[in-house]
Amino acid sequence: MATTEPRSGQRAWPKLDVPSPTPSVTVPSSDNPDLLEINLGPNHPSTHGVLRLVVHLDGEIVVGLRNELGYVHTGIEKNIEQKTYWKAITYVPRMDYLSFFSGEVAFCMAVEKLLELEVPRRAEYLRVIFQELTRLHSHLIFLGTGSVDLGGIALLFYCFRDRDYVLDLFEMVTGQRMHPRYGQVGGVAEDIPRGFDRKARQTIAYLRGRIDEYEDLIGQNPIWRGRTIGVGVMPPEYAIRMAQSGPNIRASGIPWDLRTANGGYGAYRELDYQPVVGQNGDVFDRFWVRVQEMRASLDLIEKCLDGLPEGPVIADDRKVVLPPRHELHTSMESLIHHFKIVTEGYRVPPGEVYAPIESARGEFGFYMISDGGPKPWRARLRPPSFVTLSALAALATGHYLADLIAILASIDPVMGDCDR
Amino acid sequence: MEVIPPAHVRRALRATQLEDIVMTTTVDKAMAWASSNSVWPFGFGLACCAMEMIGMITSARYDVARFGSEVVRATPRQADLIIVSGRVAHKMAEPIRQLYEQMLEPKWVMAMGACSSTAGMFANYAVLQGVDKIIPVDVYVPGCPPRPEAVVEGLLTLQKKIRAGIPPAYRQQQSDA
Amino acid sequence: MPEPIRAISQPTWGDPDLGALERLTAALGEGGVLTHKVDRDELTIVVAPSRWIDAALHLRDAEGYDFLSDVVTADWLDYGGDVAGYWGTEAFGGRDMNRSGSWGNAAVPKPLGDKRFSVSCHLLKLITVGPGEHRRLRIQTWLDDGEPLATLIPVYPSADYHEREAWDMMGIRFAGHPNLVRILLPDYWEGHPHRKDSPVGGEPVQFSDAV
Repeated sequence: MATTEPRSGQRAWPKLDVPSPTPSVTVPSSDNPDLLEINLGPNHPSTHGVLRLVVHLDGEIVVGLRNELGYVHTGIEKNIEQKTYWKAITYVPRMDYLSFFSGEVAFCMAVEKLLELEVPRRAEYLRVIFQELTRLHSHLIFLGTGSVDLGGIALLFYCFRDRDYVLDLFEMVTGQRMHPRYGQVGGVAEDIPRGFDRKARQTIAYLRGRIDEYEDLIGQNPIWRGRTIGVGVMPPEYAIRMAQSGPNIRASGIPWDLRTANGGYGAYRELDYQPVVGQNGDVFDRFWVRVQEMRASLDLIEKCLDGLPEGPVIADDRKVVLPPRHELHTSMESLIHHFKIVTEGYRVPPGEVYAPIESARGEFGFYMISDGGPKPWRARLRPPSFVTLSALAALATGHYLADLIAILASIDPVMGDCDR
Repeated sequence: MEVIPPAHVRRALRATQLEDIVMTTTVDKAMAWASSNSVWPFGFGLACCAMEMIGMITSARYDVARFGSEVVRATPRQADLIIVSGRVAHKMAEPIRQLYEQMLEPKWVMAMGACSSTAGMFANYAVLQGVDKIIPVDVYVPGCPPRPEAVVEGLLTLQKKIRAGIPPAYRQQQSDA
Repeated sequence: MPEPIRAISQPTWGDPDLGALERLTAALGEGGVLTHKVDRDELTIVVAPSRWIDAALHLRDAEGYDFLSDVVTADWLDYGGDVAGYWGTEAFGGRDMNRSGSWGNAAVPKPLGDKRFSVSCHLLKLITVGPGEHRRLRIQTWLDDGEPLATLIPVYPSADYHEREAWDMMGIRFAGHPNLVRILLPDYWEGHPHRKDSPVGGEPVQFSDAV
């Protein structure tokens, strides 16, 4: 049972009130005429994407903070309503573009829930492998850009080099590095090629060594520890009131992970996964939890590769799933079904569902309404970064400006996910 | 002991034609050669394409440093090239124009990816349908997102354009107006 | 041969919490809970807009739903207008062979409410229960165009941004929200793009009908 009491040996959680009246804005309380109001962004080397912060400073200390979002608002949800389900999958990875495959899986799981479609076991295992690869991709970029924000530029180069190895695996299977559109309703698009297993294991072995080095780099570095330990502490009550999820809430000691909650979803139910939980809820812990999650992802991928079942990689329902291409030459029904699915789209029974999964950022799910037609009536993404950024103001107020940058880096917002 | 000069010096001493040892060019060509090999990008990433752009700049596999573009500046006032990597929302259009105005001439613009070239798949109310509606673009790199090699190809095309003496896009717009 | 993993079973919703439904109905009294539905392992409870805050307070304090995942809105204008109907049906003019998806379904899909907009909250029992007992719930309310709804910020502070987005995108006004301004679109924008009568936008493309 998760508890919000401090663990033994740990100091008590600091009191962090939700700001009032607006929970996401802190206003300076003093009438000090020397307060400086500065604008951070939308283009700034230290904001993750295009985020604008309006900050009130008393010297170096942040006394007021307000977010301005929307600088990469793309209207994806409106576009999804215009396209059939099969075509709409293309839009989804571009929302949270760091954990892109999680987006595809979330969309496909929501549609499968509406269709009440069964996904074969091999497809579920493959989905887990690529979701974990995507989590690795996201956390590597997080670590690289996060350390650049704190001044340690070397990790940027190391992490982006390792990210290329992860993307090589995507490219091997799908032909595309990012946004592969590999997740399909009913499973995945194609089977893994020969040689994937060997290359994946090589990558895993290599990355394990790299993560050891990253742990040493950030875990033992006195400058890093001095800048991150005790900074931006998020107490568990605050985390729950502000609906934080993912590594942010796990760093505050609450073992909430949708991969294990109520047993988990998909193939996670057969894999014995323990969530990585932090202790202090500060910037250091949020970085540490993600580094350990990278390690846990590698273990999960290895388990999936070891236990990968045989079988089809996509469901058998030809009314919804495209037929294999070799059948188009010989079977008239396959040709007609292919034509109808691609042009008109398959019809999904009416209803509304919400199917959340655990992406690298937290709870990530689609609220999808179907009207019985071939196009979604409403497809709204529950954006983890949107919710995370609403909690930033209280976390950063009272800290130095440099700490604000560290806290912003540690909560890992992605503006594509936030603004959609 | 007699000192033997190196081979290029011996060749120079043997030469009878000036053209064998002296290369002549125009000032414009020399300046174009220098500026094409030191195009400093502005660190400006909007969305998914920014990840591939950062990958191109930082990753040793694609290594943009060998083209002279390693120095990514954080301020537009010191940058030569703005790589618009990602979709441009209407709210972001004004900051992009301001950043472009802050760059010093000569300056070049690369529209990286489908979204900044033509809004890509986002034909809707929220996305500016191509960044060339607000700033003049020199090189368009298609892809969603383009591979880092494709962006390097775009950079090389830009370098060829500079060396060929083609003026930057804003100069052509000025001459059109 | 182990049975295929069924993706439709999403364990984080848990069993539908019908006990909470009964207690909520009792607590709100007459005219509070309008209807409910259990569909695909999900429990949706429809409450009247005037009892929105009371329902949320009861669920948070008495039932233990301490985590607000999401506040979502939907515009149900002309829902099902494209997909259903037989020859001679008054509402939709019957089957139209040229309109995709307009034939084959037996009945017009009916939403849970009769007004234009729905506002739903996804709630979760996180801390208040042990592992394996987490439950999700959706409470929903239906509004007309221009009808305001009380803000959930006093109950769940994380609703702040979601409600701002609902105002920005759908035009649903939340009474009592301290900062109800546009969040994703620029301040000068007019209109609410996610409404069904608002166009997709973009510019006309040569040789292409679809935008």
